Amino acid sequence: MVSLEVHHQVEQLLFREAHLLDRHDYKEWLDLFTDDVEYRLPLTEYVQGDAAPAGHPVIQDDKTRLMFRVAKDESGYSHVETPKSLTCHLISNVLVEDIPDSPDLRAHSTFLVRQARKLRGEAWWAGRRTDVLRSVNGEWKIARRDIELDSAILPRGISVFF
Amino acid sequence: MSLRHELRSLVNYQDGYVAAAVHFDPDLYRVEAEKVFNRSWLVVGHEGMVAKPGDFVTNYMGEVPVIVLRSRTGDINVLVNRCSHRGNQVCLFDRGNARGFACSYHGWSYDLDGAMQGAPYEDIVYGDTLDKPSLGLKHARVATFHGLIFATFDEHALALEEWLSPDVQWWLKNFVLSVPVGGLEMLHGWHRYASSGNWKLASENFAGDNYHVWASTHVAMTAVQRDFAERGLHTPLDINAGSSQATPGTVFDLTAGAEGRAPLGIGVVATDDSMHTSDLRVAGRLGKEVVDWLEYRRRTYQELTAELVRKPKGFWHGLMYPNLGLMGFASHLSGRHFLLFHPRGVDDHEFWQWTMVEREAPDVVKEFAAEHVIFGQHMAGVVAPDDVENMERIVDASHAPTTWRSPFHYRLKLGLDAQSTSADLPGTVVPNPSEFNQRRFYQYWMNEMLKEDA
Ligand code: FES
Ligand SMILES: [Fe+2]
Repeated sequence: MVSLEVHHQVEQLLFREAHLLDRHDYKEWLDLFTDDVEYRLPLTEYVQGDAAPAGHPVIQDDKTRLMFRVAKDESGYSHVETPKSLTCHLISNVLVEDIPDSPDLRAHSTFLVRQARKLRGEAWWAGRRTDVLRSVNGEWKIARRDIELDSAILPRGISVFF
Repeated sequence: MSLRHELRSLVNYQDGYVAAAVHFDPDLYRVEAEKVFNRSWLVVGHEGMVAKPGDFVTNYMGEVPVIVLRSRTGDINVLVNRCSHRGNQVCLFDRGNARGFACSYHGWSYDLDGAMQGAPYEDIVYGDTLDKPSLGLKHARVATFHGLIFATFDEHALALEEWLSPDVQWWLKNFVLSVPVGGLEMLHGWHRYASSGNWKLASENFAGDNYHVWASTHVAMTAVQRDFAERGLHTPLDINAGSSQATPGTVFDLTAGAEGRAPLGIGVVATDDSMHTSDLRVAGRLGKEVVDWLEYRRRTYQELTAELVRKPKGFWHGLMYPNLGLMGFASHLSGRHFLLFHPRGVDDHEFWQWTMVEREAPDVVKEFAAEHVIFGQHMAGVVAPDDVENMERIVDASHAPTTWRSPFHYRLKLGLDAQSTSADLPGTVVPNPSEFNQRRFYQYWMNEMLKEDA
């Protein structure tokens, strides 16, 4: 069991992240991740009654690839984010647990993200995340994120972060 | 106005004009369901998806849901996923292994050959009045080409090996399916996303539109790709960072497919060494076995193309009529990407994608190849979402019926079409970039739309 204080720190980290994303403050957002972060998102498909991962993840990023996405969107010529999507990240159901024999923590959270684009384009994204958090110079950073997105057919291409 | 007259006024492929109506008119969409999706050989999957008896995947032919499966005897069946009783779905999953299918509504059941097995309480409720042989699941005709599964609802359709003329077969076999170097291996999983826009906006883009890549749509991606590569910030897209360094005059677009046969448009066929050079730059980082494999691959293709004056080294993108998009990514370190553009009403479509890698490639190449595919021309990559954005904008800007008759412009390299037939590269070849492949696509599409029923 983690202490109330640690739980609070983790929640604050995840909530702050949501605000950074909704404000398009991607430089600061990138700082929340360790340099060796792994960021993954498999899709889902129905395999014989189970909702199972649909093969190879559709996002398998390291920090450089996350930086690439941010650099592209900040260039001003990234059509999919021109004008920028309006997003509202709601983060909830935060559960923090120790990882045996490790100073790292595991944090589970759920998200609901509404993405609005211009006239009619809008998408709702919902799912769960499992993060591994590591203390770096006294601050919690995200060292790994596994995203489970609840859609078998995406409502649109993904150009936002979860 | 008759459809014949109407279509001829809408589609002027000779001069490179195609009216917006082909993407927006619901009457044409209904005709298309008949003349395109009910007539053509459509790709529905790959044998690697259904390796063992009972293995199945579900897919669509146009808007008709189908089950693609391996039967007890090892044949491939493509069955319409629709109960003969009252039209309910009988298979609910994307893939799996089954002994047969039972309908959830009244429980009628079918075996892997689609034959009706029985109905609950059959003796009591039907006695011997149920004509089971006529109540099986509907079959599509099936044929395969080096593992690729095609199906058609047209019993009068040409045999597949005629539908695919020799030059189409040459490109599919050697450059899409990589048969000379041992063929492809499946990475399981449908990756799917919805997009606005008529399915042909996606088909024409894959058939021939590489102008958009460097002209506008993907300039942010290409600039960051170059910048990151120069700064030593490695991503899988490094292999394409040097792609603009091809020698002028060595890159072509082409359409394979004889008169009256299904066209295969291929974009950015490199015939110089730029692909190999840029692959080698990245291969060095991945290890010696990768360099060796690339050299082996190169020798194999040198033999294959020994007779040709212009020797193709690979391709970037393509489209097998009517709705199979192909990605070769101008690199042998990337995977092969197959994308079906399924119509979902006149203004919408879905991308259904799967990825394959070369079976005999070193494991490190297979992993790199998969990561290259997903980071680029993929639903959550840094390429495809920008294309989808354009399609949404086209729908908004062009869907008003009063604008349907104003033509879209497909005139790039118009006039070079006739002189381009070449004795060496299979197909009809024009300098890149061009909109030749799009013109060919609409020419064929219109002729199919005008074809009388057999
Ligand atoms: S609809 Fe299938 S059994 Fe009735
Ligand atoms: Fe594109």
